[in-house]
Amino acid sequence: MNVQTSDILPADLSEMSEAQLRKLENKIARKHSGMFPWLMVSWAFGNLAFWLSLWPLVFFDVIPLWLGFILSTISLSLVYLPTHDAQHDIIARPGQKLRWLNELLGHATSWMIVSPFNVFRVTHLEHHRHANDLDLDPDIASKAPGPWSAIWKSIKERQPSGTRGANYMKTLERVGRTDLILLAIAYQLGFLAILFTLAWSGYALEAFFLWWLPYHIAMTYLNFFLSWAPHNPATSQARYGNTRSWKSMIGNIGSMGMQFHIVHHLHPYIPLDRTPAAYREMRPILEARGCDLGEM
Amino acid sequence: MLEKILGSVLKFLPLIFAVGFLVPVIAQGTEALGWMPPFGLSTLTFALVIGGTWGLIAQIKGRWI
Repeated sequence: MNVQTSDILPADLSEMSEAQLRKLENKIARKHSGMFPWLMVSWAFGNLAFWLSLWPLVFFDVIPLWLGFILSTISLSLVYLPTHDAQHDIIARPGQKLRWLNELLGHATSWMIVSPFNVFRVTHLEHHRHANDLDLDPDIASKAPGPWSAIWKSIKERQPSGTRGANYMKTLERVGRTDLILLAIAYQLGFLAILFTLAWSGYALEAFFLWWLPYHIAMTYLNFFLSWAPHNPATSQARYGNTRSWKSMIGNIGSMGMQFHIVHHLHPYIPLDRTPAAYREMRPILEARGCDLGEM
Repeated sequence: MLEKILGSVLKFLPLIFAVGFLVPVIAQGTEALGWMPPFGLSTLTFALVIGGTWGLIAQIKGRWI
């Protein structure tokens, strides 16, 4: 396992107090944060343009529908993470000059996976506050005993009687954001209106293979890697126990950097692309704290 | 009034989705495959039967699969 030596950490952590460990951890975290996340911004708007371009490319027979389907599935699977950085104000915090860009990125891309940006933001921050809490974590529906059951549960919970949507609505109600419930419903109905219009205009297969099916595959993928895997078995609510690092069979890029999700829960202001480096430097501290670090 | 309409729409969403989307997908998919539905049914009638039944089951059971 690659361990990056840190110029911040001393060789021996065993005699250090809790406060000293925390101070060092925060110093490492600050080293890997504060820079403008060029990658996430390019990723967000580039992906938006790419996905929108698939429609005329397929409609005008420039590319076949099967290729459009594959590309759309990949593209929609990549929508969430830039909005995730925006949800944590990583592009710009309130009051900063580029705050408009943070908000634009979130609002301009989250609709592709049929959710208002603010619904994602509010529920995700509640997930951080109450990770793995059976009653208060809006993502608790992802909890499952193993990978295959996690995939099946993701599909099951998105059906009419599923609990995922209900958990999100419950969370929004609890935090006093019932306005977002109506907005979320409006987004879903808008999505259906577009699908129905395309379908009854003779473009049902395009609607199915360019949006509906890629969206559901993307959500299953996102629920698995962002929600289930980094928190499994999702029993602890402790700061250093509610998330883990883990080795993905499909590597860091295939799992969208979620192998290092523990760093994100500890320091959510670190941009996604910096979490691997921050993890490697922070690893001795996390080990000293007894965190679940898997094979990483 | 809006809440009542919205409530009804949400309550019958599986059936609405079946007719609004699933039926044309099945119909156009059948045509794209060049397949003739049984019993001399038109592709739309065939899609209405399959999609409508599936939607009704999802409406009652709360699950598509």
